[in-house]
Amino acid sequence: MSAPDKPQFSEARLAEIDALAARYPSRKSALMPVLYMAQQDFGYLSMDTQKMVAEVLGLRLMEVREVVTFYTMFKEQPTGKYLLEVCTNASCMVNGADALYAHMKNTLGIEPGQITEDGLFSINEVECAGACAGAPVVQVNNMYHEKATATDMDALISRIRAGEVI
Amino acid sequence: MTVLYINDEEVTVPAGTSILEACRENNVEVPYFCYHPELSVAANCRMCLVEVEGWNKPAASCCTPVSEGMKVVTQSAGLEKDRSMMMEYLLIHHPLDCPVCDQGGACKLQDYAVEHGVGRGRYTEVKRLPSDKDLGPFVNTCMTRCIHCTRCVRFADEIAGTGDMGVLNRGDHMKIDGIVEDALASELSGNLGDICPVGALLDKPSHDVSRPWEMTRHKSTCTACPQGCDIVIESRADEVMRIRPLKGGVEPWICDRGRYVYDAFRSDKRILSPMLRVGDKLEKASWDDAIEKAVTMLKGKRVGIVFSPDWSVEGLAAIRLLHDIGLENPKVAFDLHRRDSRPFAFDEGLTMTTESMEQVDQVVILGSDLRQRFPILMQRLRKRANLGKPVTRIGAMHYRTNSEIANDALVRPRDWYAVIARAMDQLKVLGKTAAGMDEWMGKVEARHEAGKLLADALLADTCALLVGEEIRSHEDAAALIHGLDLLMRAAGHAEEGQDGRNLLPSGMNAQLLSAMFNGTRTAAGEVFAAAIAGELDTLLLIGSDPIGDGLFSRKAKEALAKVDLLQVGSISGDMVGLADIKLPAAAYSEIEGTFINMEGRVRVAENPLRSLGEGRPLWKVMMRLIQALGHDVPAVNLTEMREHVLTMAPDFTALKDIWFAGKAQEDFIPAQRNRKNVFLPNVAKMNAAKGLDVVGRYSMYKEGAWVRASKLLAEAGRIHALDDVIVHPDTLAEMKLQAGDLTIMSNVGAERFTVGTRTDVSPGVVFVSKRGTAGDISGETSVDLGGGQ
Repeated sequence: MSAPDKPQFSEARLAEIDALAARYPSRKSALMPVLYMAQQDFGYLSMDTQKMVAEVLGLRLMEVREVVTFYTMFKEQPTGKYLLEVCTNASCMVNGADALYAHMKNTLGIEPGQITEDGLFSINEVECAGACAGAPVVQVNNMYHEKATATDMDALISRIRAGEVI
Repeated sequence: MTVLYINDEEVTVPAGTSILEACRENNVEVPYFCYHPELSVAANCRMCLVEVEGWNKPAASCCTPVSEGMKVVTQSAGLEKDRSMMMEYLLIHHPLDCPVCDQGGACKLQDYAVEHGVGRGRYTEVKRLPSDKDLGPFVNTCMTRCIHCTRCVRFADEIAGTGDMGVLNRGDHMKIDGIVEDALASELSGNLGDICPVGALLDKPSHDVSRPWEMTRHKSTCTACPQGCDIVIESRADEVMRIRPLKGGVEPWICDRGRYVYDAFRSDKRILSPMLRVGDKLEKASWDDAIEKAVTMLKGKRVGIVFSPDWSVEGLAAIRLLHDIGLENPKVAFDLHRRDSRPFAFDEGLTMTTESMEQVDQVVILGSDLRQRFPILMQRLRKRANLGKPVTRIGAMHYRTNSEIANDALVRPRDWYAVIARAMDQLKVLGKTAAGMDEWMGKVEARHEAGKLLADALLADTCALLVGEEIRSHEDAAALIHGLDLLMRAAGHAEEGQDGRNLLPSGMNAQLLSAMFNGTRTAAGEVFAAAIAGELDTLLLIGSDPIGDGLFSRKAKEALAKVDLLQVGSISGDMVGLADIKLPAAAYSEIEGTFINMEGRVRVAENPLRSLGEGRPLWKVMMRLIQALGHDVPAVNLTEMREHVLTMAPDFTALKDIWFAGKAQEDFIPAQRNRKNVFLPNVAKMNAAKGLDVVGRYSMYKEGAWVRASKLLAEAGRIHALDDVIVHPDTLAEMKLQAGDLTIMSNVGAERFTVGTRTDVSPGVVFVSKRGTAGDISGETSVDLGGGQ
């Protein structure tokens, strides 16, 4: 997904942002939800997008940058359509997450920070996803896949490659 | 007040004070990094831990307010252990490169490592290696040394108001970063090197050149603007290495202009020995030869004197003595930014301290680019705005302030009458009036809505009026200031004790000059006009650079082509190749002398640097000239010179107390107030002016002979350059013109310039950067614009 040259919120989005900001004592407080909206609309938070968010909320660019870089779920780099986040924290690790992660990278042929050639996948290692009972866990965009095995994941990847939307 | 016990000593501090501040006030040492008295409290270094009886863990003293009967312990075995652990933690990623670090010897980290550290680290893993940043010409970075105290971030947010420093990422990846294009946007950026408690941010121009313990410190007064900040000039041998604010001085910060002007001390523009013109060239000469030649230019000749107000009080009095004793009816001027030499109802100088401006209910800025002209005063107002107190501004442009301006109105210079009359209307309706107000109002038909903002602010209990250059340089300034005086009287802000009438001066010692030369002075423009008309033989310029500075450069150029030029000063300015004789006078850093700032604060410099060349203090040069002209020398030492000052200005008892009674230097020289002259608006003259008003724009990095001789400031001037000529797009649209090459028609002819547009300026005004391509036009008051074929 490529962002337009100069990212710009739609009129509907701006109205939504104004309504949201009105719920807080200062517009600054709406920063995090607005960043999520921007990420949803433009795929990731480029510097231009961050500048636009700063302008919309009347903040300094540095204030926006500080929040964006603090939280790992704000992406400053473009990712594939499906972001696979493999938890390798304690419970997942003892349940074979490291091998799973290596297997998936191998299947996809990419390293973290890269996107597969078809633009579909990116992969990342994450710290505790908070679903230890289902370890190992792979988060695909906003969906958890618990007790994930190499076979499951290969099947999932094939299904997506075949055009299935999950 | 709260009573508490620090290490069993009973102390009393105001309620709400933090424990750390209570300790500092009572000289109890508590180590800290992130705390700074001028910044908000972040409490992130954890170095200032103290124990409080009854609390089960140590408290960060910087963010813990005192409470009644609290028992604080600052030294204990437990705290010693905590501090040593904190030090170990802070030093984990530190490169330990003190031998090559400029901060070494003046470093908190180093001091506390000695005092509280364990001397050996246990950390053997890989160290973090954050990359360095380019923050412009003044701030050097070495981010591996950073301990994340965030003082610089809070400085950028709260003091500079630019917010271009910040903390990115988190945890082990946390780093301090700046969003900069060419340089930090602030005019106070040089202070970052001072507030960084470690060697991460350092002064770039003096980086890797000297060590703190090599420096000799000379307490002095900055004369780069009328604020006259207390500074410490740090020198190694005779060479100035850097200038810093005086610790414990009135202002905690100094601006980059005052800090980096030191580069000019060693510039090739300095006048370091007497010079005589031989043919086309100036050649070094002996003092005797130069003085002898100077006498031929002065004796029996018609002389015009233009001098700089930034000399010491003693030097200025010596100029007056030369004027009175040595010369026959010379014309004398000193303010290159004032067109109207009539006495003002309230003359240059403040009636309040800049510090007290944080407290008053209302502050009104009338026509001033404060950030460029008085960066430290602007910082006081920014502090005020941070506290949510309003600042009202009326002026030709929404000048950038990096601060919140609560009410902001645009007016053309010719609208000032209507603004004042509108405010008078409003006060009158409310039954507030002053003798003479009706007569003044009667002369003005028009009303301008910006006057409402002025009147609203005047209705507050306390109000400080800051009258700036757009009014002071006005052709009819005396009438405008008379009008403002009437307004302030009507509103009750003219009484002793709560006088809010502040006229911002263009140079130092304004109060003294206004008293000493009242009735004698003419406008600088008249001196040059007289020279052009052939009424003068010689111009004596004493430290003044009328070609480079002020409103009369075009006239000055013409005048200097016609008459002989005798230049006395420390620096040549833009008069290269024009002087027939140059006599060196010592720079402000090189003399014992007295300075008065715009608040009327008196500073006596007693520990000067050695003069780099053959320069003598100005008063000695003047005495030598008086003697060579065949008169008795009125003063042979500084004490006699000071006695002359007191004869000339007998009301200035503060000077007497400080010089002769050894009183502390906290007395104030009052500005001239309550003059009885009545000046009424000359509206007809304004109406006869050309179509567009001219407002000259001033860049702090380019005005003043000293500043222009500094390469460091030249670099900053390049980065923070002002637009050459700009107008509001509506002005062009009305005249059916397009931005681009246009003809500007002034009294001196038509010339073509590239004209740009900006929307945050008043329509009907042409803004001309003084040091830009159209600089000469900035001295005009009105012009017409034409198409650009």
